[in-house]
Amino acid sequence: MSALLEVRDLEVEFDTYGGTVHAVRGVSFDVRAGKTLAIVGESGCGKSVTVQSIMGLIPIPPGRIVAGTAKLRGVDILGRPEVDGRDVRGDTIGMIFQDPMTSLNPTMTIGDQIAETLQTHRGQARPQARARAVELLEMTRIPEAEERAGQYPFEFSGGMLQRAMIAMAIACEPAILVADEPSTALDVTIQAQILDLLGDLQAKTGMAIILITHDLGVVARLADEVAVMYAGRIVEHGTADAVFHQSGHPYTQGLKAAMPTRNSRRDDPLQPIDGSPPDLFAPPPGCAYRPRCPNAMRICERRDPPAFPLEPSDASRPSAAVDVVSHASRGDAASGSQAPAPRTPPKETEAHPAKDATAAPHHRDHFSRCWLHRAEASAHRGTVNPGASQ
Amino acid sequence: MLRYAFKRLMQGIITVFFIATATFFGMHSVPGDPLANDKAMTEKIRANLEVKYGLDKPLLSQYGIYMGNLLRGDFGISYTQENRRVNDIIREHFPVSATLGILAIAFAGLGGVLWGALTALYRNRLPDLVIMLLVILGISVPSFVFAALGQLLLVNLNDQFGFSLLPVAGWGTVAHMLAPSLVLGLGTMAYLTRLMRSSMLEIINADFIRTAKSKGLPATRIFTHHQLRNAILPVITVLGPSIAAITTGGFVVEMLFAIPGLGRYFVQAVQQLDYTVIMGTTVFYGAFLVFMVIVVDLLYGLIDPRVRLE
Repeated sequence: MSALLEVRDLEVEFDTYGGTVHAVRGVSFDVRAGKTLAIVGESGCGKSVTVQSIMGLIPIPPGRIVAGTAKLRGVDILGRPEVDGRDVRGDTIGMIFQDPMTSLNPTMTIGDQIAETLQTHRGQARPQARARAVELLEMTRIPEAEERAGQYPFEFSGGMLQRAMIAMAIACEPAILVADEPSTALDVTIQAQILDLLGDLQAKTGMAIILITHDLGVVARLADEVAVMYAGRIVEHGTADAVFHQSGHPYTQGLKAAMPTRNSRRDDPLQPIDGSPPDLFAPPPGCAYRPRCPNAMRICERRDPPAFPLEPSDASRPSAAVDVVSHASRGDAASGSQAPAPRTPPKETEAHPAKDATAAPHHRDHFSRCWLHRAEASAHRGTVNPGASQ
Repeated sequence: MLRYAFKRLMQGIITVFFIATATFFGMHSVPGDPLANDKAMTEKIRANLEVKYGLDKPLLSQYGIYMGNLLRGDFGISYTQENRRVNDIIREHFPVSATLGILAIAFAGLGGVLWGALTALYRNRLPDLVIMLLVILGISVPSFVFAALGQLLLVNLNDQFGFSLLPVAGWGTVAHMLAPSLVLGLGTMAYLTRLMRSSMLEIINADFIRTAKSKGLPATRIFTHHQLRNAILPVITVLGPSIAAITTGGFVVEMLFAIPGLGRYFVQAVQQLDYTVIMGTTVFYGAFLVFMVIVVDLLYGLIDPRVRLE
């Protein structure tokens, strides 16, 4: 299936008084029609900036898109939200935000706020758009939609507002819905309802969803694919199952370990990832996760670890020299375990040693250790945490 | 809404009662009386006049009589202007002051909102810096200075053009109204500009503006329907007090531009201790201000749906 939205090597910076913040440092991913891509990571790792720069929502200045493309059906929309004179925002791409309480205009009725999207993109007259707004509110399961459409945001509860936001975002039947932490600000019971609603709407309309979250529970519920972000980069990328069960990056493993499971006992301590994300004013050379990584090695100070292509087509940071080593080492290691071997033929392997002879041994070393860690982790998961993905 | 309006109106009436009472006793505690200005006043004439105007009665009964007349809407007769009823003075001259005031408020409100929004959109760039400098001038320079400078400018301009571009003083035509109302509104306009700027800056970064952008709305619609409408709310709340500022400022501007408004009578009356005119103008202005504040509050409830008027 060809990708609806192809994001390649996106780099975004912000100029601040303290210096330049390298918020997004080369992010690539694809969004496929009808599928849900979850972008996961801690606060400040660049998840929101990534989607907001695609949407043209970051303020420029101080923001700056340094490099990259975002092709929507083959047309680059990065830095110009219009295609053929039409704004793709609200039309082809809808978006919902984290805090529904502050994300709606307090002085405009809900119905008008939904209707204005239709008036703008579909050229509908106001009465017509208002009628459609009521239908949309019904679609998002808001009772007494007719009456509700005439009310103001302050008359709605948080969950209702998020439903109204969703109604607004899907008004023009977008091909992609960007949901930026859609359930974070809501009660847990409401969270589940909103996520179910998103899932149902997706099944009904066939839209793709980009789901931004730091909640692995949300990911497990909705995502088809997962991209794990750390310090402005995607460190791991694959299908939801692969990321939950075969993750290779220590950060992903740390995230999973930090999540309590249903088998956790009351007195089991939570396992946070020690430390905090690096200062993005001056991203450290080498691997950004190194200071917090339990498996860090000397090589990590100088170089990023290679990508872990959990699925052959999903190499998140394609980089020939590094990939080759990773494939080779994974191949070595896989021979001794039940983990699936990468299906990509390691055809460049022979050519490689001459090119980067000094780095290769370190990598091999690094990967064998990483591998050991992974094997332990998967064994642990197998006994303790069987339900992580459901 | 109606209940609320009624309640506010009742409160307003009580306020006006207190204004009248305080003014009455304050005025009478000032040494001298309306008759002190007349020359060649013998004891006999003075006593006769005091009886005629009721000034011989004890203060409290004078108060009772005055309040009784006030309830019937009778402000009494001027002490210093022969045979002029205070009601007539107000009826003749208040419309002039009101026209001046309304024009000034319109200038101030429109200008404040526009300049404020503009400075916010151009934050820290040249238009912002220039306008904010002017705003500081507008706030710190008193209106009579602007009045005098404005007249000087008009005189020079009229001289340059060889015909009267705008009249320098006087009253009568729309052209007469422009310069004084602009001068009168300037200080308030500067104040409202500052208020609008900060309120707009807050709104520009609001989450719901990001939402509006994510819906792909045109910039003009975002400005009018989302930014302006929300940013204007604090400006409306201070419109009531601004009307007070403009009214009091009006006295000075009326004098300088030779406008036959109520302000001049107010000032003259205080100088001559013309009791009935002081009372009449003060109570009338007081009631007017209280009423305008109530109107602004009701207006606020119409514009901001979150304000429940109960």
